[in-house]
Amino acid sequence: VSSVRPQPAKKAQASVVRYKAALRKSIRRNAKDPEIDFLNITAMLDLMTIILVFLLKSMAASSASIPQSKDLSLPGSFMTSEAAQDGVVVVISKSQILVGDDPSPIVTLPSREQLAQSGVDAKFKRSGPNDLYIVPLANALSHARDTDKAIRMAKGLDPSTSEAIIVADSTTPYRLLIEVLFTAGQSEFGKYHLMVLSGRKR
Amino acid sequence: MADQEQPLSAAQRSRIRRLSQQAEPEPGDVAGELNVVPYLDIITNVMMFVLASVTVAFVASIDTTPPSIGGNKVRADVSSKALNLSAWITAGGVSLKKSDGNIATGCENLGSGVTVPCEGPAYDAQNVIAPNWTAAMTTLRGCAKKLKNARPEFKEETQVTIAASPGIEYRQVIDVMDALRTDGEEDLFPEVHFGVAK
Repeated sequence: VSSVRPQPAKKAQASVVRYKAALRKSIRRNAKDPEIDFLNITAMLDLMTIILVFLLKSMAASSASIPQSKDLSLPGSFMTSEAAQDGVVVVISKSQILVGDDPSPIVTLPSREQLAQSGVDAKFKRSGPNDLYIVPLANALSHARDTDKAIRMAKGLDPSTSEAIIVADSTTPYRLLIEVLFTAGQSEFGKYHLMVLSGRKR
Repeated sequence: MADQEQPLSAAQRSRIRRLSQQAEPEPGDVAGELNVVPYLDIITNVMMFVLASVTVAFVASIDTTPPSIGGNKVRADVSSKALNLSAWITAGGVSLKKSDGNIATGCENLGSGVTVPCEGPAYDAQNVIAPNWTAAMTTLRGCAKKLKNARPEFKEETQVTIAASPGIEYRQVIDVMDALRTDGEEDLFPEVHFGVAK
């Protein structure tokens, strides 16, 4: 008994060579240039992120970042000059005095009526309420002066005197302002930069 | 030769069609692109909060020197014929004084009285400048210009000493400094020093 089954009739096919040639031709015909249907913004985003970081850093470092609040609002001025950048910052708000980057208040201020009469409390003064010298402020400024002196020497600037940037609230009484300036003067600060909001119209 | 002339079969044509089609890329698989839409959403939100919370204030600085008590020690030496201008701010206005005495009201002659009177508060409760204070500063500016141009030798002077009553606000001091520094066209007394009463 023959076990060989009858083979089905093989369909007629083109040769492999002909088949491959037809395939190549078809691929060439269907080939099309890649269509740019998207925008590659990854590089732009990288750029934007880096610029944003630098922008925020420079804004934080500049004196233009002086916070405006109910406790501290600068007076307006017609001045349009560049704000000074070098110096020890002394902040006089409605409620306290700060020096440098230290967030803890050097002196807590009394009521406005008392400030207008005799400045800060007599307990902070060197010799009574009529004195202009504020002892805790002088201590903080002398510490800041030592640091600033070393910086000025390293920069090649004149170390005999330092500069102070005075950031005072617009309602600060003249008496308190003078006490702070006088104390700074006694602590070897020979030049002050009074910070104001610029560009007020005449 | 007979084999070469054999046409492509249906199966071969079908396979050729299938293999020659360009495969459509999967979404998000295009050229290895990241899906940055959520990232953009976050950045946009963060930017809005940053811009809303940061108040950009343009600041300037006015340079000055330590205050002197009862005199003009920090001023550069000026001759006795100099103008030697001083301003004293009180609740009643601004008094000006030069080497030979006080300037009377109206800024014309020497005499007693407040040179530029101004009654009432300079700023109201909403921190808006009062019209009479604005007018006083305009008058003060005109007076300073008049004094500076009174004599040729006064034109050289650039210094003024400002003092005030203890309760005068810092913004009033700045207003007076502004009025005495410049009139918008020429510098009047740009070097400002603070004085303290004895």
